[in-house]
Amino acid sequence: MAEPVTVYPGDRRFAYLALAPSVALVLMLIAVPTVAIFALAVQDVPLGRYSGDFVGLANFRRLFADADFYAALGNTFIWIGGSVGLEMLFGTGLALLLNQRFPLRWLARTILLAPYLLPTIVAVLVWRYMFDDIVGIVNHIAISAGLVARPIQWLTSPRVALLSVILIGVWKFTPFVVIAILGILQSIPGEQYDAAKLDGAGPVRRFVTITLPHILPVFVLTALLRTIWTAHKFDLIYLLTGGGPINATTTLPVLVYVRGFHDFDAGGASAIALVILLLIALLLVPYLLIHRWSEARQ
Amino acid sequence: MSRAFRLGDVASDGLLLRELSGKALVFLTAFAAASVVGFPFIWMVLCSVKMPAELYNAPPAFLPVDFTLRNYADLFIQTGFPRYFANSLIVAVGSTALSLLFGAVGGYALARFNFFGLAIFAALSLLCYMLPETLVIIPLYMLASYVGLQDTLVSLIAANTAFTLPFALWFMRAYFRSVPASFEESAMLDGCTRFEAFRRVTLPIALPGVASVGVFAFNNAWNEFLFALVLTSSERNKTLPLGLSTWIGQDSIYSWGMLLAGSTLLTLFSMAAYLLAQSGLMPGIGEGGTKG
Repeated sequence: MAEPVTVYPGDRRFAYLALAPSVALVLMLIAVPTVAIFALAVQDVPLGRYSGDFVGLANFRRLFADADFYAALGNTFIWIGGSVGLEMLFGTGLALLLNQRFPLRWLARTILLAPYLLPTIVAVLVWRYMFDDIVGIVNHIAISAGLVARPIQWLTSPRVALLSVILIGVWKFTPFVVIAILGILQSIPGEQYDAAKLDGAGPVRRFVTITLPHILPVFVLTALLRTIWTAHKFDLIYLLTGGGPINATTTLPVLVYVRGFHDFDAGGASAIALVILLLIALLLVPYLLIHRWSEARQ
Repeated sequence: MSRAFRLGDVASDGLLLRELSGKALVFLTAFAAASVVGFPFIWMVLCSVKMPAELYNAPPAFLPVDFTLRNYADLFIQTGFPRYFANSLIVAVGSTALSLLFGAVGGYALARFNFFGLAIFAALSLLCYMLPETLVIIPLYMLASYVGLQDTLVSLIAANTAFTLPFALWFMRAYFRSVPASFEESAMLDGCTRFEAFRRVTLPIALPGVASVGVFAFNNAWNEFLFALVLTSSERNKTLPLGLSTWIGQDSIYSWGMLLAGSTLLTLFSMAAYLLAQSGLMPGIGEGGTKG
């Protein structure tokens, strides 16, 4: 408690009543379903039925012998690593840039943050059209500039599709990193830089000794948050490629959907969901530790 | 300043020049980046006013050969765009209203009291905030069909509200904690009930924070795709992301024109909504982090 609160008669009833709808919704639609996937994962249950035969760990044995699963696991790591790496790189660079004073800065800022504010479906439609093999402007520009000889199948070639999806994701989500880093950059007192300048520190020294330590906690937290949310991502990938071609862009969340709603295998899909849960849990531990550390530092 | 005195006039001219060229470099880099990032928007708008057949020309011309609004007309005549839009609006407004209502009273209770179970629920909902939708989509689908809410907008409102509430509760809790409890206690000494004190004293002070939770909730539901894909099936219940996505790749009827027209309209709507939210209520876009 931030400060002592006087408890009046009836406050207990008020508090429980006030929280009742939230508790009901969160328990019914998030917590209980999360527990339910543990039960579903050990059953052979087709979608459309509510329970099936108990099969022990058979769903997991099937999963660990499934080439699709390993492909999805690999894609998930490439998707997360590529997306978060590029988002942090571009996001930090753009934040440092936007932290400088220059004419028309508001305009550059507005344009650079715009992709984040738009519905995912807009990004999907525009980029699918631009990345079209034949009528897309990207291939047209690449060929006229002499960068490639033949049209690239951006979203339909197994070798390129995941990279294209990553690039589109980076376009869409880098602004989140820009906003987070820019916020912390603007909180650095200007006097620190003035004092360092007086002491003869050059721009690189000033960056390493003042800027970097200041933004580090936020940088790490942002990277972890982006990692968790990128691991969750379903809509962007599914709408761009449906997980294809073949399995080239199928990540674990996409595989859950495909197993459940294309193959009607609720048990198998739940087993994959549990792998995702484990992955998220592993990511949450460093997040919470670093969160505690950065709060203690302030 | 002192540096200029020490180094003398000539050197300070050099420094000024270096500073200016540094500024020019920053300016050029920023606008090079902005052109790359902004190009898809320009291309979307330009292509949405080209004749449908022109969109399939290879190589494409940059500017429209003939300006036309036919794609916009097609969007309204051929697709269920108005219905998708209305459905999205119903789902987004419904789940925003519920998230704000439940999140505000619940967040207030979490901010002020420490009765049995409250801290546990706060921790549980923080955990739930980190869980992906795909994790629970199979049980949710089963639940919806079990209670007979499959293919209804109500199921979408419920699912979106549940997935927004953890965020709403935590942020509301933080905003209400920043309002001193003594304010409402003096109101209660004057005869207000706890709820009246909350509604008349604390809520108005915390309103900007409440509004930013509203923006988050609306954006979440407006964007949501997986629940719509799984929980609704008939044409009349489709929301915008689901409805528009069914028209991708329908090349026999030149669907790109309509889809780009739809994208342009959605972009304009989003921009208008953000300007409205920012001008009136919200201190900064993205404050506190929006789930993406």
